[in-house]
Amino acid sequence: MPPEISQHLGQVSAGAGIGLSVVGMGLGVGLIFASAIQSVARQPEMAKQLTTLMYIGMALVEGMALLGVVFCYLALKG
Amino acid sequence: MNSNFDLNEYIMHHVLNSHEWLLPFAAPVTLPGVLTSHALMIFIACSLILMLFLVFYRKNDRVPTGLTNCLEAVVMFIRDDVAIPNLGEKDGYQFTPMLCTIFFFILTLNLMGLIPIFSTATANINVTFALAFLIFTLLVFGTLARSGLHGIWKALIPASLPKWLIPFFIIIEIASIVVRSAALMIRLFANMIAGHMVIMSFLGLIIIFGWVAFPALLLAVFMYCLEVFIALLQAYIFILLSAVFIGQMYHPEH
Repeated sequence: MPPEISQHLGQVSAGAGIGLSVVGMGLGVGLIFASAIQSVARQPEMAKQLTTLMYIGMALVEGMALLGVVFCYLALKG
Repeated sequence: MNSNFDLNEYIMHHVLNSHEWLLPFAAPVTLPGVLTSHALMIFIACSLILMLFLVFYRKNDRVPTGLTNCLEAVVMFIRDDVAIPNLGEKDGYQFTPMLCTIFFFILTLNLMGLIPIFSTATANINVTFALAFLIFTLLVFGTLARSGLHGIWKALIPASLPKWLIPFFIIIEIASIVVRSAALMIRLFANMIAGHMVIMSFLGLIIIFGWVAFPALLLAVFMYCLEVFIALLQAYIFILLSAVFIGQMYHPEH
């Protein structure tokens, strides 16, 4: 494979990696918020505890996805 | 269309640390010696917080009003909703000052990044590394000082674990402590740098395409409003996760 093509392939795959990370993050955060909203609708008195749990879950999912985005960006640059 | 404009370099120049203090409508100020722009932002943030709590916070009022009331509400929220539920009554009181300090420090730096004359120090991985290393030190040496090697063993290895699984668990749990702290570091860093990059990209589109890209300005304003929310949320999440992790290490029974 000529070097210029392999370089562009690297860029394309890094960009696709960023996209895939964001898709995963969207799915995960969406599921967390959806189930939190459902739970609050069923038991409104639990809202305060559920909000904290929701943010913890969101932060954990988002952290992993952002890890992917950052590494993909580094791959894109490096 | 402005074709000799390098958007990537423009974004990197504004996001990365340098010896120049970038000002709007003026030439950048070259900072003396080892002082970089992000270090300067940290000093400004520290003096802002000190001023807020030493000058504007009036402790002797019988009924808190105005800014005093606002600050007290935030501190009360951190004590009652973050520290005590996760760390227990006694440790919660002990850890509230540290969590408040970290919260106000991160929040001030995050919000300063949204004001044009300042830059974001939390979008520098060294700053977030230092903050996360503080939590890592507490997780390891705090548990060691509090309950000794036996305490760490109890925090990491569940009592009902079969004997042959213990070596694997030691490796997994050591890795999990490191990964938790590293995730704290990466989360704050990536959130702050990503938001600024998105805003810069939208504004860069205007420079490249001219008037055609005017709607990008509205998107940039929308992202800016989202960034204000994210600045608050990331400061909250940082101390919330710190409290949860420290609570897990200090009180393994629940």
